[in-house]
Amino acid sequence: MNRGPTLRKAWAWWWGILLAFMLIAGMRLVLPLPFVNEILIFSIYAIGCSFLLGKVGFISFGQPAYLAVGAYATAFYLFYFGTNPYIGILWGLAAGCAAALLVGPLFVRLRSDYFALVNLALAVIVFYLMQKVLAPITKGDNGLWFLTNMTSTPVLDITQPQQFFIFAFLVGLVVWAFYKYLDDTIFGACCLATKINEDKLQFLGYSNFRIRLAAFVIANTTTALAGSLYAVYLGAVSPEITAPSRTADPVIVILLGGVGTLYGPIVGSVAYTGMKDVISKLIGNWEMVIGPLLVIIMLAGEKGIWGTLEPWLKNVLFRRRNTAADDRDEAR
Amino acid sequence: MSIELLKASHVTKRFGALAAVNDVSYTLREHEVAGIIGSNGAGKTTFFNLLTGLYTPDSGSIHYRGTDITRDTPQQRVAHGVMRTFQLTSTFDNLTVIDNLVLAFFRAHRKSSLLQLFLNTCKQHRNNDKIAEVLETFDLRDLRDREVRNLSLGEKRRLEIAMTMLAEPKVLLLDEPLAGLAESEIQAVLAILRRQVGQQTILIVEHKLSHVKEFLQRLTVMHEGRIIAEGGYEECMNHPEVRRSYWQIDVDAEAAAQAAP
Repeated sequence: MNRGPTLRKAWAWWWGILLAFMLIAGMRLVLPLPFVNEILIFSIYAIGCSFLLGKVGFISFGQPAYLAVGAYATAFYLFYFGTNPYIGILWGLAAGCAAALLVGPLFVRLRSDYFALVNLALAVIVFYLMQKVLAPITKGDNGLWFLTNMTSTPVLDITQPQQFFIFAFLVGLVVWAFYKYLDDTIFGACCLATKINEDKLQFLGYSNFRIRLAAFVIANTTTALAGSLYAVYLGAVSPEITAPSRTADPVIVILLGGVGTLYGPIVGSVAYTGMKDVISKLIGNWEMVIGPLLVIIMLAGEKGIWGTLEPWLKNVLFRRRNTAADDRDEAR
Repeated sequence: MSIELLKASHVTKRFGALAAVNDVSYTLREHEVAGIIGSNGAGKTTFFNLLTGLYTPDSGSIHYRGTDITRDTPQQRVAHGVMRTFQLTSTFDNLTVIDNLVLAFFRAHRKSSLLQLFLNTCKQHRNNDKIAEVLETFDLRDLRDREVRNLSLGEKRRLEIAMTMLAEPKVLLLDEPLAGLAESEIQAVLAILRRQVGQQTILIVEHKLSHVKEFLQRLTVMHEGRIIAEGGYEECMNHPEVRRSYWQIDVDAEAAAQAAP
């Protein structure tokens, strides 16, 4: 049986994702572990936001709310009920999905600008809930500390930072494969269609509401997954995770990386975390650099770093490939 | 006698004090190709929007094959087989031509649940026979993989009609299908419409009457939200109310001039 074409197809589908994650694995060899772990978690955090903005046309300043839902659901389980971090992560995923299903039917009916504002309001509500209203169980500003509550897990012990990196790496790989698959599906095409022409989509017989709700739930469940990973990685959660000053973080990351592109969130996370780390050591106020940089990126065509690099890389790679093929043909 | 497919009874739609459509009753029969004309603001597009579910009438009812669809959403009407095109060409400009067609095909032929949208990729359907046939018929084969934002207006219009045809609607409502097209593009669209005569129920709103009169079996003239004339092309064109309101001919002065020795 000739498996050549099947393998070639599989490789063509995976190669971008594998290359991206090989670069992340390569970064692990030269950069400190906390830095690479933060990049991985931040990328997963940002991809939901990137999907909503790039594919569905919804800008959300409320992603920290869903991040906090995932993180606190995991934290509650590990602080009050159990010790297995994997089960804690599953709780975080379930809570994120439930929260998105609860508010989604109301939010996705709104125009993009109002959608941004209600999500921002939700982030503020969640912040005050965790900081003040639910303080008896969330321990207010002190947060929940459960690092020592977690028990070691067999096969991959994610209570150890080194093994947590492998786990986050594998989770990231699965998340990216999932979003790449979504891009290829009829659902992915419907998301792009509802972004640009909801009337037409409606008159083809599709439900804009159901498509947007599904996209909203998928994006925010991914964000909650990032929250759960944060919780397990840090072994603690505080209201700081959803502080009003942090609401723009994922939006900044995807603007830096490139809105709606598959690899924009990874590139943006590397750039954002890197700048924060390096510039804050050099001049302290790193926001003074990232602010003007964002203005420049927006003025330069809103494509972000990956959005600008991608066509150039494709041009170089595919032109080379085509040239090689032409040479082969000529040789024949 | 052919079947009454779409029937509007005493339909009224108001925007504030203005009655955009005022007590209009209209019947479209199976396999009929009918047209609606009227000056700007006559209520043609509002009436179209009422038939297709974009607006709900303030009073009156709309039936499809005897079933009341007055309160049905556009999606429910599409499920019945009532489809439309728009006055301003309406496609998905951020997708390729082929993916626009895949979306139209998939919903119409797969009765897609949300789960099906996740389980099917666009690639699986791009080489579908029906889509290939439509690409050929509408002369879109060479544009197959081009993003729609890069097409000309005429090419977009052909694509829009192709998308609607692909869904095999029972009733096709075309809102000014020739608007903004060059003469060669008009002929291309007309050739497509000509092929549908006798096979498809079509209602056309169009200003370019000279182009569509050859295959219109019935014409309706609207003015200020009301139907003022209905019948054959010549019959409508000679109707005094149409001459006065649509062509703005001073009918009384004309009659007086003819009566004078």
